[in-house]
Order: sequence, then structure tokens, then C-alpha cells
Amino acid sequence: MTAPTDTSAPVAGIPATGAARQLLRRLRGRPAAVVSAGVLLLLVLLALAAPLFAALEGQDPYAYHDDLVDSARGGVPYGSFGGVSADHWLGVEPGTGRDLFARLLHGARVSLLVAVGATAVQVLIGVLVGLAAGLGSRWADGILSRITDVLVALPMLVLAIALTAVVPRDFPRPLLLILVIGLLGWAGTSRIVRAQTLTLKSLDFVAASRLAGSGRWRTARRELLPALAAPVITYAAISVPTNMVVEAALSFLGVGVTPPTPSWGQMLSTAQTWFRADPAYVLLPAGLLFVTVLAFTVLGDAVRTALDPREASRLRVGTRKETSR
Amino acid sequence: MTRYVLKRLAGAALVLLALSVLVYALFYLAPGDPARLACGERCNPRQIAQVREQLGLNEGVFAQYAHFLQGVFVGRDYSTGTSVVRCDAPCLGLSYQSDQQVTQLVLERLPATASLALGALVVWLVVGVGTGLLSALRRGGPTERILTVLTLAATGTPVFILGLLLLMVVCAYLQWLPFPTYVPLGENPEQWAWNMLLPWLTLGLFESAKYARLTRSSTLETLAEDHIRTFRAYGVGERAVVTRHALRGAVPPVVAVSAVDLGYMFGGAVLTESLFGIPGLGKTLLDGVREIDLPVVVGVVMVMGVAVVLAGVVADLLYAAADRRVVLT
Amino acid sequence: MRQSSVISRRVAAAAVSLVLATGAAACAGPEDTGAKGGASAGKGAAGGPQKGGTLTVLNSEAQTDFDPARLYTSGGGNVPSLVFRTLTTRNREAGAAGSKVVPDLATDLGRPNKDATEWTYTLKEGLKFEDGTPITSADVKYGIERSFAAELSGGAPYLRDWLVGGDTYEGPYKDKKGLASVVTPDDRTIVFKLKKPEGEFPFVATQTQFAPVPRAKDTGAKYEEHPVSSGPYKVVKNENDGERLVLERNEHWDPKTDEERKAYPDRIDVKAGLDEAVINQRLATSSRSDAAAVTTDTNLGPAELAQIGSDKALAARVGTGRFGFTNYIAFNPKVKPFDNPKVRQAISYAVNRTSVVNAAGGSALAEPATTFLPEQKSFGFTPYDHFPAGKTGDPEKAKALLKEAGFPNGLTVTLLHSTAQNRTTSPEIATAVQEALGKAGITVKLDGQEPNSFNEKRWSVKDAPGFFLSRWGADWPAGGPFLAPIFDGRQIVTNGSNYNHAQLNDPAVNKEIDEINKLTDLQAAAVRWGALDKKIGAQALDVPLFHPVYKRLVGKDIKNVVISDWTGVLDISQVSVK
Repeated sequence: MTAPTDTSAPVAGIPATGAARQLLRRLRGRPAAVVSAGVLLLLVLLALAAPLFAALEGQDPYAYHDDLVDSARGGVPYGSFGGVSADHWLGVEPGTGRDLFARLLHGARVSLLVAVGATAVQVLIGVLVGLAAGLGSRWADGILSRITDVLVALPMLVLAIALTAVVPRDFPRPLLLILVIGLLGWAGTSRIVRAQTLTLKSLDFVAASRLAGSGRWRTARRELLPALAAPVITYAAISVPTNMVVEAALSFLGVGVTPPTPSWGQMLSTAQTWFRADPAYVLLPAGLLFVTVLAFTVLGDAVRTALDPREASRLRVGTRKETSR
Repeated sequence: MTRYVLKRLAGAALVLLALSVLVYALFYLAPGDPARLACGERCNPRQIAQVREQLGLNEGVFAQYAHFLQGVFVGRDYSTGTSVVRCDAPCLGLSYQSDQQVTQLVLERLPATASLALGALVVWLVVGVGTGLLSALRRGGPTERILTVLTLAATGTPVFILGLLLLMVVCAYLQWLPFPTYVPLGENPEQWAWNMLLPWLTLGLFESAKYARLTRSSTLETLAEDHIRTFRAYGVGERAVVTRHALRGAVPPVVAVSAVDLGYMFGGAVLTESLFGIPGLGKTLLDGVREIDLPVVVGVVMVMGVAVVLAGVVADLLYAAADRRVVLT
Repeated sequence: MRQSSVISRRVAAAAVSLVLATGAAACAGPEDTGAKGGASAGKGAAGGPQKGGTLTVLNSEAQTDFDPARLYTSGGGNVPSLVFRTLTTRNREAGAAGSKVVPDLATDLGRPNKDATEWTYTLKEGLKFEDGTPITSADVKYGIERSFAAELSGGAPYLRDWLVGGDTYEGPYKDKKGLASVVTPDDRTIVFKLKKPEGEFPFVATQTQFAPVPRAKDTGAKYEEHPVSSGPYKVVKNENDGERLVLERNEHWDPKTDEERKAYPDRIDVKAGLDEAVINQRLATSSRSDAAAVTTDTNLGPAELAQIGSDKALAARVGTGRFGFTNYIAFNPKVKPFDNPKVRQAISYAVNRTSVVNAAGGSALAEPATTFLPEQKSFGFTPYDHFPAGKTGDPEKAKALLKEAGFPNGLTVTLLHSTAQNRTTSPEIATAVQEALGKAGITVKLDGQEPNSFNEKRWSVKDAPGFFLSRWGADWPAGGPFLAPIFDGRQIVTNGSNYNHAQLNDPAVNKEIDEINKLTDLQAAAVRWGALDKKIGAQALDVPLFHPVYKRLVGKDIKNVVISDWTGVLDISQVSVK
């Protein structure tokens, strides 16, 4: 009966590059992590090469096939499993007959881009604000924490509608979604970082660094950032799929990507009522979303434990914006 | 302690002020003319002008905001055509679209939202913490894997699909429960609970994966600590180690995050409330946004703000109670 | 929770959507004969209808407006018509017979003077409000007057546009003198003085503004919480701004004065604010009180239809009907390149109505349209297809026309649509149009706007784009309310909501509209509306896309489902649960 993971080396003191190398080495020893990383890489690859794969199938994601759906029965695809055939490997979309394989691959681009992009924005702002709150004066901390409260209580839907109306039509919609989800979703990260910083601040090695004459930001960069990596990475790993679900919710509420562009969220939102008449239409995007959630979570766990179980579990605050509920 | 709470309450006032300014600003940016919408679609320009006047939309955005503040602090009077109605402070104004006083409307909707939020809290505490503990106890085993996959499946499924799926299976296919209709707790507690069961499950399951992971990692962290090793060395059983000692490590973070999530639920559970027809704040917010009903949106956002801040205070207090090293300032 | 239901409150996305939301009526039956322009009627559960029981109404939209002044209905609405009686009302019969107007509070359809500028009505004897006080012509006049108050806006424009002085009258709260063009010589007589001849006035008198309101009980904006009933039911509970509404029998309603409302159930329990998918699922399952349930605002969607497909028992509970409604692409010829008729024609040819119909839910829920008028006889439907695109469009013909128009290499245009998931002006329809036009070399960029800004844009003379999705529904089943707002040059509204999207101001068209309005022979009028539609259609000022078909489920214990051509949906006043 031993502790589940290696707790030997405290990560905090190790220079960043060394930590990364060590992390990779540890991850390689964990099959679940390797498989998850592989799945995610595959998804990214499929997304990047979506036009290529769709061409391989001989379909494009926008072409209508009126002859493949039964107009008299609400446009449900002819054939079994949502119209699976040699031409349409995963069947077609009800109502339009658009190819699902092509749409899922192209949809992965938007979904992954929005989810990863929004997470990046969240991490960036969250770390900066959290560090500033944790290291700054009591006043700065108070003000930043109140700002966090404000953003947490601001409904995403209001912001999304206001922004989609104000921002010019030609502004890429995925980028807008990244900004909306990112700008309202950093509170969780900032709270973790702040809490972690407050704890670390009192620890010996940081105090020593300050005593040795390092400035605040130098200390933050050299000593704190590496120590924060574990919880932030773990939290980010959970945030990516969460942001995907948020994108689905925004699509459901009519402020998602611009049609005819597909995204998993857009597909799920139109599929809502179809799960009895055409289960495949719901299960495909839902399944992909689930695989992504699983892969990110397992990888996140693996990264956390590989970094340091103690540090990682300071991950305390999970935030998901209300729009997805 | 008292000083801390007072300070946080002062902070809360600032948060509410900032929120109201932000919502006013966003509405200033947002498209759509509330007067036109309130008037009806075949209104002529003269009527629209009258309605605009009546709603006080002729004034500049600053004057409108000033009136809002005035209502909050001293109240306002409104005309129904046949009589004048007093809206006492804190008056959040009158809905553009339904002529109802927003303060009253928000108070009417609060019980349903509170019912949903508290019940969901119980579900995620039971399911989430239970799953987390079990998976910490059986780490690496099949139980852990299955539980992990199940909670993640609920989290990775958008609420509008998860909820409808539950409805179809439980109410339509198996017919174990009638389709839920909201019954106020005061009217019939038993019916209230039965009708809230599915909404609670939907929202609670959707949230539980997060709590499962939180519990699992906190528990594992504690298990790695020295005194636990000592217990083990003395031959204390694994189950006892986990439930009596390691669980203690999971309590503070779970409480902290729960409090925060609970705060969001007051106006945040838009999709769940809509799907199950719960006359709560989230649904009101959604309607308000779609109908450009600024007073209603501000009203709900205020409640959310209060809930989020209060939840934060409670979390801090509980955290401080659990960990004596934390000093509240 | 779907956006199609955005219409709530005083808001309506189209005249018609409000009508449906507040509850138009008609009766549906178990069998779907699929008869065009007709409605299938069925008996529902076996046995004749009996009095008694509770009818549950499962709705998505709350009855947020329950003031007769503010309701915008076609023929008085569905639930509202249980509480408000009006001078005239719709004939509560299935199919084409149901598009007739019949007397309600009045003894006849109104007696016009020679040029149809003055209409006189006499009230039946023995009419009473729910408190037992008699209903007088002064109560009807007061009901009309208060609909002019700014506090109670929302109703149809006809009273304001037609009554002498209607354009400046500000309602009884501001103007104590009253409206001089509505005269009540005695307690049972009421006379309306109009600016110009209006042969279709009896249709307008079906709207809830013609319901009596006792002045002493008027509470202004609060009246809707408990409106005083003149119909078979009175309001006993109105919670959460119309989300829960309970109606019980009005003992002072005398069935002998009311031939139209059957009023079988003892109690009507309206539960609104429900998700549309959930409503349909509940009706299909029909467990407990849902067995005696109907909906007055939720149609079956394509997925539900596909699911019902193989289930005969369920299919027997689907009522099918048609309401006068047209979904179309609108052009604004003031914007290039849509000033060029050849461009508009090219688009007319390029449109693939099969894709569009599929996007609207398939052939069971939408029928391809080539005429602006709906395909019911009462509208004067006259078939034409000036730019035959066939079933799937004629891109070659479109390309040739574009070449003639000076666009040999195709062109790029922007299509405005809404983001509402309503399957009428929604992204699905827009992408189907985009896809078809692409084949003719027309690149379509989509501009999807949130519903309110979408409406404001398309209704603006100043800012309306050249090319957008639009829709129009019937305020009553005749050509007048269908064609006049869209093509009458004098109805171009420069400073409000304009529906004459093409901004057509053709003296010949205007004159013909005036001529038809003089006719009090509605059948003769219908023929001429049809001819006018065909004539205007040749100018390619719009591309008619489809007419919707309404399919709705009822609970398994529901009997006597009646669906008229007026409303296209079941008439709640005819339904029985026993």
C-alpha cells in the first residue's frame, strides 16, 4: 500500500525547461496519458486535414443532397444508421442531406479552435490577474477580486448578443466566440492562481528569492510560475471540453458560429430533438465531444500527478459559465 | 471576522454597482428598440413614440441610469393608465414588456430557482463527492474507471440533451415519473420534490464530474501526507483511512467550489430551467435578454451578483473555519 | 426554450406568429386526409363529446398579454376567445367553412351603408358579463377606445387606420371625450364611421378589441390580470404573468346567445413556459392529466414527425391544418443589383424549393409556393408560376438571365435572415437558398441577425437591405390584409414598421386595392384579389418560397377536434375531454 504517485521532487524549484522535460518523461510512462494524447493529436490532425479527408470520401460539408432525405417524414435520412452508405461514411444530416463525416471533421476545426482558443485567453488573463492579486497590495487584491465577482455574475448570453450585433459581420465568428467565452471565463483560473500565490508567497524559497533582491515580477516569473504550472495546466485541461459545451450552448441559443459553417456545438443544438428519429445524428457529435472530454481529463490528471500530486490538488475552484447549464 | 464581513458587504455594493453599469452599457450597444417591441409590430410611429416616452426611453442613457438608481434608493411611481402605482425602494423598475415591477417579479421567481439550486447541490455533493471518494478508494480499479466515465459522460453532454434524454427515458419510456411541472414548496412539499427530481438530477449530474475530480485529487493529496502513512503503518484499514482522515482534506475545496457554483445557479441555470419549465430566474433572464427588457435583465443580474458575492463570503468563512492557518482580512 | 418562441409578450415577429402564440383556433382530427387547402378533421377518441372534466393546455409561450386591447389575433385567438366575445367571430367549423365570419355578440355581420363607410351592429339580448351585469354597446365602445391608449398598445392597426379620427385619438385615459366615430345611439346599437369603404369590416370585428370592457372594472395596464369575461369561461387564476392560467365556467354566459363556442370542459388549465420538445413528448405519452391535453402554440417539428411516422395510433392523434401564411424572399429594388428585374428573375429561377421545403421541415410541414397568396379559396388563390424553377431550380436559366443583366461571371449578394430557430426566416432556410443560388453563380453571404434587430432592419425603409427572408400571415382569411400592407404604395411607412418591402407605389395597383375594398360581396372580392396577386407577381418583387402546414398532437382522451382554414389549428372552444 503506497501512495499512488511519485512525490519525490518538488517541482517548484526546478527551472521551467527542466520541468517540461521531466513532465514528458513521466507522462510517457503512463499508458492512459499516452493514449489520451494520441487521441487528441489524432483529432487535431483530422481537423487540420479535414478538407483532405472529406475529399478522400468524395464529399464536401456544404453540398445538399435532397434525394437522400425523406421529405414526407420530416427530412429523416433514407436508409439505416442515419443514411450510412459507401458515399456517406457516417450518414447525412436530416433535412439537408449534407454529409456528416465531412461536417464532423470541419466542425472539429471550429470546436477545437474555439475551445482551445478560449481556454488560452482564460489562462492568460487568469494567470495575470491571479498573480497580480496574489502579489499586489491588499487594495489591488480587493479590487481585482471584485472585478472577478463582476465578471462571474455577468451573463454570457447578454455579452454574446451585444457583441455579435456590434462587431462587424466580416469579423470571424469563431474568434468572437473565443473572446466572449475567454473574457468571461477566466475567473476560475485567477482564483486558483491567487490562492496558490498567497500560499507560495509565505514559503521559504520564495521569501528567500525576495530577500536575495529579486523584484516582484522577477520572483513571479522565476519562482511562482513554475509552481503554478501544475494546477493551471490541470484546470485548463478540464476547461477545454467545458468550453466546447459552452459553445454548444451558445449555438443552441442562436449566437454560435455562422451557418453553413459546422461545429459540434451547432450540430448538437440542431440534433436535440432527433435522438429517437435519427440517433446517429445526435450520437456522432455527442460521442466525439465525449471522447474529447475524456481525453482532456485523463491527460489533465496525468499531467497533474506527473507534476506533483500535492501541488496539483490545490486545484480547487472549478468554474463553468452559467450559459452551459 | 465582523470587520471582514462588513468589508465584503461594502465590496458587494461596488460589485452590484459595476454590474448594473455594465449591463446598461451592453444594452446601449445591443441591437433592437424596446419601445418598438413593447408597442407591438403594427404600431405606427406616433404610438411607438408614446410608448418610448412612457418607458422613459427618450432620455439619455445617463438619465435612465440615474432614474434606475433613484428607484433603488427612494422608489418610483408608475402610471397604469387608470391609476398611479407606487414602486417602493429598492425598486428595480418596471418591465418594458410586461408592466410588472421587477423587484416583485424577481422575488416571485426566486423560490423556484432556489429549489433547483439547492437540490442540485445535494445531488452533486452526493454523486460527485461519493464518486470521487470511491474512485480514490478503488483507484486504478474498474470501479474507478466506470465511475469516471459515467460522470464525465454527464459533464460532456450539454444540458439541453442530457435533460431531454432523462425526460424521454424516465417520463415517456419507463413512465416512472410524470412529466415535471413546477409546484411551489409551500403548496405541496411532496409534489414539489417529485417534480423537481429530474431537474435536480440533470443539473446535479452535469456538475458532478467536477466534484468527483476535486474530491479524488484532494483525497489523494491527503493520503500522500505523512500522518496518513503513519496510520497505515499502524495497520489502520484503508477504508477507515480514507473515510475518517483523507476525506477531511476534500471538505474545504468542495465546500468552496460548491458555494461558488450555488451562487451562479441564481440566474445561471438558463437551459435547465427552460427545458423543465421552471419559472425561475434563469428563464426570466433569457426572456429578458431576448425581449430587450433591460430592467428585468438588470434585476436578475443583481440577484446573481448578490448570490455570487454571498457564496464567496460563505466559502471564505467555511474555509477559514476548516483551516486555522487562513486569516481573513 | 427554442428561439422560435421569442414572440412572447407584446412582441410578435409577424402578425401571424402572435396570432398563433396567443392562440388561434381550429379543429384537428385524427386522420390526415392531406386535402389541400383543407383541414383534416377527426373524431379523436371514440364517442360523442360530453360536458365536464378538465382540459389541460400545454404551451410554450405564457399568456403574457391577456388584455383584449393588446392582443393581436386573427379572429379573436384561441384561449382568449374563451373569455372574450366579440361583435363577430370565426365560424367554428372544419375546413373551408371555417374561414367564414359569423355573428357573435351581434345579431348579424353588420349592416353597411351604401358605400361601406358606415357599419351598424345590434347586440343580442340577454348578454351578460361574468358578474351578471348586462353587456351594452357602451362597453363595446369603451373596449375599442382603450385599445388606443399607449399603455395598452399591441393590437392590429385597422381601427387606427380605418376609423374617422383614429389616427389622432389617444385613448380614454388621456382623452375623456371619447372617439366620435364610434356611436352608440342606444344600449344595443353601435355604429362605426370609417374614412373609406371597407368591405371586409366584419372580419376586423372578430378581433379582441371588439370585446366589451366595463369601464368601472378597468384597471388599465393591470386589467389583464383579471379581465372581465363575456365568454363561457372566466379567469380564476393568473400566475407568473400568464404562465399558469386557470379558467372555470362563467355562469352568466348563456349558451343560447352563443352558437359558436361549445365549451364542453368545466375547467381549462393552461400550463405555459414549457419547452416545445417536452410539450410534444408529453402529448405523445398522454399519461395522467396529459391525456386530456392540447397545445395552442406548439407544432410538431420534423424530428417528431419522423418519429411518429410508423406509429399509427400516434399518427391518428395528429391534427393537420393550413393557416394563410407565406414565407418568401423579399427584394428591395432601391438597392443594387436588385433594381434590375433580370437579377430578381434570375434568383426566382435559381431557387430550389425542394431544399427550402426540406429545411422548413419537409413536405409534410411545408408546401412549395409560387404565388404570394396562400392556397385557400377565401384568399382568392389564383395559381401562377411566372418563373418556373421546377422542383429543384433552374440554374442554367438563371445564369442566362444574369448574363443578360450584365453579370456574365455571376455576382455576390448578402442575404439577411434571423437567428431564430423558427424554420421560417431562420438559418436553415437561408442556407438552403444560399446553396441553390451558388449553383447559378450567385455567391450568397449570410447576415444572420438576432430576431429583434432582424425585424427592425427588414421593416425599415431607410436601412432595409436589398435581399432578405420575410414572411406574411393573414389577419383574416381574405386577400385584403394579405396584399394591401405588402403592395399598397400608401402603406409604405417611412418612420415605423414598413411591410411594403419592395416599396411598390404603382397607381394602378393602389386604385385596384381601393376598388376591391368597396366590395361587400366577399367572393367577388376574392376573385379580384387573386387576379391582382397574379399581376403583381409578374414583376418578381419577391420569391414566394413555401406555405407552412401545421401539425399538432392532442392527448389521447381529446374529442371533437375541429381545424378550420382560418386558423389551421385546433379550436379550443370545440374540444371535449369526455
